[in-house]
Amino acid sequence: MTTDTLAPASKLEAKVSDARYPTTLGGQLRHHLPKYIIGAFTLAAFQLAMNRIDWQAKGAIDIVFGASPGDAWKPAVTMLVLALGAFVARVASRWFVFNAGRDAEYEMRFELLRKLHQLGAAFYRKMPSGEIMSRSTSDLQQVRMLLGFGVLNLVNVCFAFASALQIMLTVSPWLTLACLLNLPLVTLFSRQLSRGLYTRMRENQASLGRMSDVLQANLAGVRVVRSFALEERERARFEAENRAYLEASLALARLRGSFAPTIGAVAAVGILVFFWYGASLLLRGPGAGGISQGAFFAFWSAFARMTWPMIAVGFSLSVVQRGRVGFARLRTILTAEPEVVDGPDPAPARVDGDLSVEHLRFAYGDHVVLDDVSFRVAPGQSLAIVGRTGSGKTTLAMLLARLLPTPAASVRIDGRDVCDLPLRAVRSVIGYAQQDAFLFSTTVARNIGFALDDPESPESQARVRDAAREAQVLEEALSLPEGFDTVVGERGVQLSGGQKQRIALARALIWEPKILILDDPLSAVDAKTERAILEAIERQASRRTVLLVTHRVAAASRCSQIIVLDEGRVVERGTHEELAAGGGIYAAFAEEQQMASELEQLDAPAAVPEREAAAS
Amino acid sequence: MSAKASPGAPTRAQRALDKFHEEGSIGKAYDGRLLRRLWPFVRPHARFLVASLGTLVIIAAINLVRPLVMGDVVRQAAAKDPGRLLRDGLWLAGLLALSQLLTFAQMYAMQIAGARAMADLRTTVFRFFQRLRLRFYDRTPVGRLVTRATNDVDAVSELFASGALNAMGDIISLTGVVAMMLALDWRMSIVSFLALPVVGLIVNYVRTRSRKAYREVRARTARLNAFLNEQVNGIAVVQAFVRERPVADEFDAINVQYRDANKSAIYYEAILDASIEMVSTLCIASILWFSGLRRVGDHTITFALLVTFTQYIRQFFEPVSLLSQRYTLLQSAMAGAERIFELLDETDVTLPALPPEQCAPPGPADEAIALRGVDFEYKAGSPVLREVTFEARRGERIALVGATGAGKSTVASLLLRLYEPQGGAIRVLGKDVRGWEPQELRRQFSVVPQDVFLFPGTVLSNVAIADPQPDRARAEDALRRIGALAIFGRRKGGIDAPVDERGANFSAGERQLIAFARAIYRDAPLLVLDEATASVDSDTEARLQTALEEAIRGRTALVIAHRLSTIRAADRIVVFHKGRIVESGTHDELLALAGVYARLYRMQFAHEQLQKAERRVQGELTAAG
Repeated sequence: MTTDTLAPASKLEAKVSDARYPTTLGGQLRHHLPKYIIGAFTLAAFQLAMNRIDWQAKGAIDIVFGASPGDAWKPAVTMLVLALGAFVARVASRWFVFNAGRDAEYEMRFELLRKLHQLGAAFYRKMPSGEIMSRSTSDLQQVRMLLGFGVLNLVNVCFAFASALQIMLTVSPWLTLACLLNLPLVTLFSRQLSRGLYTRMRENQASLGRMSDVLQANLAGVRVVRSFALEERERARFEAENRAYLEASLALARLRGSFAPTIGAVAAVGILVFFWYGASLLLRGPGAGGISQGAFFAFWSAFARMTWPMIAVGFSLSVVQRGRVGFARLRTILTAEPEVVDGPDPAPARVDGDLSVEHLRFAYGDHVVLDDVSFRVAPGQSLAIVGRTGSGKTTLAMLLARLLPTPAASVRIDGRDVCDLPLRAVRSVIGYAQQDAFLFSTTVARNIGFALDDPESPESQARVRDAAREAQVLEEALSLPEGFDTVVGERGVQLSGGQKQRIALARALIWEPKILILDDPLSAVDAKTERAILEAIERQASRRTVLLVTHRVAAASRCSQIIVLDEGRVVERGTHEELAAGGGIYAAFAEEQQMASELEQLDAPAAVPEREAAAS
Repeated sequence: MSAKASPGAPTRAQRALDKFHEEGSIGKAYDGRLLRRLWPFVRPHARFLVASLGTLVIIAAINLVRPLVMGDVVRQAAAKDPGRLLRDGLWLAGLLALSQLLTFAQMYAMQIAGARAMADLRTTVFRFFQRLRLRFYDRTPVGRLVTRATNDVDAVSELFASGALNAMGDIISLTGVVAMMLALDWRMSIVSFLALPVVGLIVNYVRTRSRKAYREVRARTARLNAFLNEQVNGIAVVQAFVRERPVADEFDAINVQYRDANKSAIYYEAILDASIEMVSTLCIASILWFSGLRRVGDHTITFALLVTFTQYIRQFFEPVSLLSQRYTLLQSAMAGAERIFELLDETDVTLPALPPEQCAPPGPADEAIALRGVDFEYKAGSPVLREVTFEARRGERIALVGATGAGKSTVASLLLRLYEPQGGAIRVLGKDVRGWEPQELRRQFSVVPQDVFLFPGTVLSNVAIADPQPDRARAEDALRRIGALAIFGRRKGGIDAPVDERGANFSAGERQLIAFARAIYRDAPLLVLDEATASVDSDTEARLQTALEEAIRGRTALVIAHRLSTIRAADRIVVFHKGRIVESGTHDELLALAGVYARLYRMQFAHEQLQKAERRVQGELTAAG
C-alpha cells in the first residue's frame, strides 16, 4: 500500500496569504498615499507652470506693444521652457494618480477572487452569478473611478483655482468677480447632468438587457417558437423592446447632447462679461485704473483654464458618490464569511484512505437531505452509492470532501474528524469529481490536466494522453481541429455531452487523490464505452479508495460494497449479489437495466408496413 | 511531440489561447463594401443625416467667425468706441450660444438617423434569426447570436453616437482655420504652422501606440471578465480539485496584463493631451516672439490680430486630437458590421412552400399523417431514421415506443418540418409537408414536449401561448378540464402568477400541466405528445394521466409513450428500434410476437415496479419519521 505525504505549506502559500491588500477605501487611499502625494505635487507644479506661462505671455505682449518689441524673445523662450515643464508635470500627475486608481482596482480584484474561492455553496445560492459579476465589474469600476479620476480632479481643482485666481485677482479683482459670478453654476449643472447621465445610462443598459432577454428566450426556445408558430408574437415582443431601447438611447443622447450647450451657454455669459467689461478696462489703460493689453491677454488665458476644472468638480462629486455606493456593494462580497473553514489540527503526515461516516445528518434549512447515514470504506476498497435523482447522493459526496459544511464528528479519514483538519488537506485526500461536467474555456489538455501543477511538462502531457485514453476520449480529442490544444467552451469548439463527461472523467482520473469520489461519471456514455471506462476505474480502485455515485447497476456491481440511498437514508446495503437477489429497489434497478442492455444488443428486422401495398 | 517549455516563453496552452482570443483584434477602419451594405438601413432616415451634416458646415463657419469678432472687440476697445464694443460683445455671445444650439441639433439629428437605422438593423437580424433552420441552431451557441444583435449593432451605432461621421466636420474646421489664418497674416501663419510637423509626429506616434493599448485593454477586459465569470460558475470544481492557488496565479497574470494595458493607455492618453497643450503654448510663444521681431520696424501688427490668431490656434488643435480618437471608433464599428453581415450571409434558411406540382401526390381524405420511406440524419454518417413508413387515420391514437435514441422524437420534428428528411415523403392532413406554408403547417399541431419550455410571462400567457390577446375564460376552462385550475389558483396571483425565465419557479409536473392546458386551448386537429419520464409523486402522476386523456380526446394523437397505461390505451402501437420501425399492432398482438416490444414492455414494467418500491419506502420512512 502506498502512502501519500502531504506537502507542507509551500512558499507560494506564504506569498498569497501575506499579499493581502487593503479592502477598504481608506485603506486603499493610505496604501497608495505616496502616489497620491507625488500626484498632488506634480499637479501643483503643473498649475504653477501654467500660471507662470500666463504671466510670461502678459510680459511678452506688453513688450511687443511697448517701447522695445525686439525684447519679446526673452519671455517667449521662458514660455517654451515652462511649457515643457508643464508637459512633464501634467503627464506625471496623470501617471501617478490614475495608476493609483488602477493599482487599487487590481488589488481589490485580486482580493475579490481570493474571497470568492473561499466562499461556499451557501453564498452562491444567495447571490446569483450575474449579481457577483455585476459587482466585480461595474461596481469595481466605480470604485476605481473614485480613486483615480475623482481624487485627481478634486485635488487639481484647488491648484487650478489658486493658479488662475492669482492672475485674475492681480489683474483686476472687479473683473474677476464679474467673470466668476456664474461659474458655480457650471459646477452645479455638471453635477446634475452627471447624475442624470448616470441614471440614463443605467436605464439604457437595463433596456438593452430586456431586449437581450427577449432575444435569448426566443433563441433558446427556438424549437417551441417554431413548433407553435409563435413567430408573429415573438416579433411583436422583440420590436416592442427594440423600440424601447431606441427611445432609451435617444433619451440618453438628448441629455448627453444638452451637456455642452448648457455648460457652453453659462460659459458664454462669462466670456461676454469678460470681453465687454474687460475691453472697457483695456480702453481705460493701466494708467487710468484699467489694464494693459498683456494683462487682458493673461486674464483671458487664466479664465479659460478655469472652465474645465469647474466642470470636472461637478463630475467628480458624483463619481465619489457612485464610488462609495459601488464600494458598499463590493464590500458585501469582500466581507462575507466562508461557511467552511480550516480545522485546528495540522495536516496528517500520511494518509491510508480509511473513510468512515457515522450518523451523518444534513439539512438545507428545514429540508432534511441526509439522515443517519453511516458506512465505512477500508483503504483500497470501493463503494457504490446508488439512488435516483434527489436521493441525496451528490450532497453526501460533497459533504465527504467538505465542499458543504460537514457536521463535526460525522466524517473521518483514518479516524480523524475531517472538520479538525485543514481544508486543503481534506480536499486533497478526498477528491470529488462533480456530476455536471463543467469544463473551463481553455484547451482540452489544460482541462484534463487541471489538477497538475506543471501541465506543460512533457511528463504531464504524457499523463494527459494516458488519462484521455483511460476515459475513452483520446481519439476524439486527437480528431478535434487543434487536437489537445483545441479551446473548448462557449466560443470554442462545442463538445457533445458525452465528450464533455469523458473529458471531465479524464480530469478526475489524472488527479490521484487517496480517496476518489466519482459522481455519476457515466450518465451520457454508451454501454461499450461504459465497460471500457469501468475497467479503467477498476484499475484506479486497486491503487486507492474509490466511491462511485451512480444509478447504473453495471457500474455499481463492480464495487466491493453498495449502499442504496433513498430520501436521504440508506435503505439497502450489501454486495451486488446480495442486493440483486433482495427484491428491493436495487433489484428493480438491476432488472430494468438488464432489459435495456438486452434491447440494445437486439437486432430486429424492419417490419413490413401494413398498408404499404394498398397505398402504392 | 512537445519541446520543453523554456521559462518566459509562452506555453503551448498559452499560444493556443492567444491564437483563439485573437478574433477581431485588427480591423480595417474603412471598408466600402460594408458601408454600401449599411446604407439601405440608413437611407430611410437619410434626411436626418443630411440635415446633420449640413449643420456641421454651418457650425464650422460660425466657429471661424468667432475669433474675428473677438479681435474686433479688442480693436474697438483700442478705437475707444463703446457702442460698437457692446454690439460686438452681444455678437460674440450670440454666436457662441448659436453654435452650441446648432451643435446639439446636429448631434441629435445624427443620433436619430443612427439609432433608427440601428433599430432597423436589429429588426432585420431578428427576422433573419426566425428564418434560420434549426440545424443552424444545433451548431451555434445562442450567446454568440445574441451578441450579433446587441453588442455588434451597438459597435456600429458608435459611428453615429460618438460622431465618427463628425470627422467630416473636423476636417472642414481644420481647413477653414488654416485658410483664415493664411488670409489674415500669411507670415505669422507660417510661423505657427512650423509646429505642425511636431504635432503630426507626436499624434501619430502616440495614437498608434494608444490604439494598440486600447485594443489590448478591450481584449484583456473580455478575458478577465470571462475568466472571473467562469470561476464563479465553476467554483465547485476549483474547490474540489483544490486548485485555488494555481487558478489565482493564472487570474493574476490576466489581471496584471489588464492593469498594465490600462496604464499604458493612461500614459499615452496623458502624453497626447499634454503635448497638444504644450504645442499650442509653443505656437503662441513663437507668435509673440515673431510679433516682437516684426514690430521693430513694422507697426501693422495689432493686439487684435494677436488675439484672433491665438484663438484660431486653440481651435486648430481641438479637431486634431478628436480626429485620431474617431479613427479607433471607426475601426470597431467596421469590425461589428463585418460580423453582422457575415451572419446575414448564412444560407441555411427555411425554404418557402413548394408549388403543388413539385409535391408528393396527396393522400386519402381520412389520412391524418403519413411517413413514406423516410430517411433522416442530423449528422452525416449517423442515420437516425431509416426507411420509416407509417400513417395515422383521423381520430386515431398511435403510440410510438422504443428505447431512448430509437428515433421517436425525431418523427415529431419531421412532421412539423423543423428538419428536412434526406429521403422519403411526409404528408400532414393529406398534403406534402413541403407544400405547406411552415407556420400554417405548425398551426395544425399541438405539441406537448417532454421538457416543457415556459416563456417569461404569466401562467395565462403561457397557456394561451400563440394568442396576443389571451382569452381568459378559455384558458381557465382548459385548466379546469385537466383538473389543474385549483392548483394554479392556489398560487399568489392565480393564473396571472408570474413565470420566471424558463419557468424555473414551477415544478416539472406543473410545467407539464401547463403544456396540456396549452394543447386544449390551442385546439389543433393533431396532437403530438412526448410523455414525460421524469419521476413525479403519485398524486401528480395521476393528475397528469387525467390531463393526458383530456388533451387527447377528439384529436388525432401521436403519443411518444413511456407509461404502460398510455401504451395500452393506444389504438395502435408502432415500435421503433435503432431508427427503424420493427413492429406495429395492438398491445396483445405485439406481446404475442415476443420481440422488441415484449422486451420494452418488461423493461417498463420493471421501471414502474421500481417506482412503486421507492414510493413504498418513502411511505415507510414518512410513517416512521
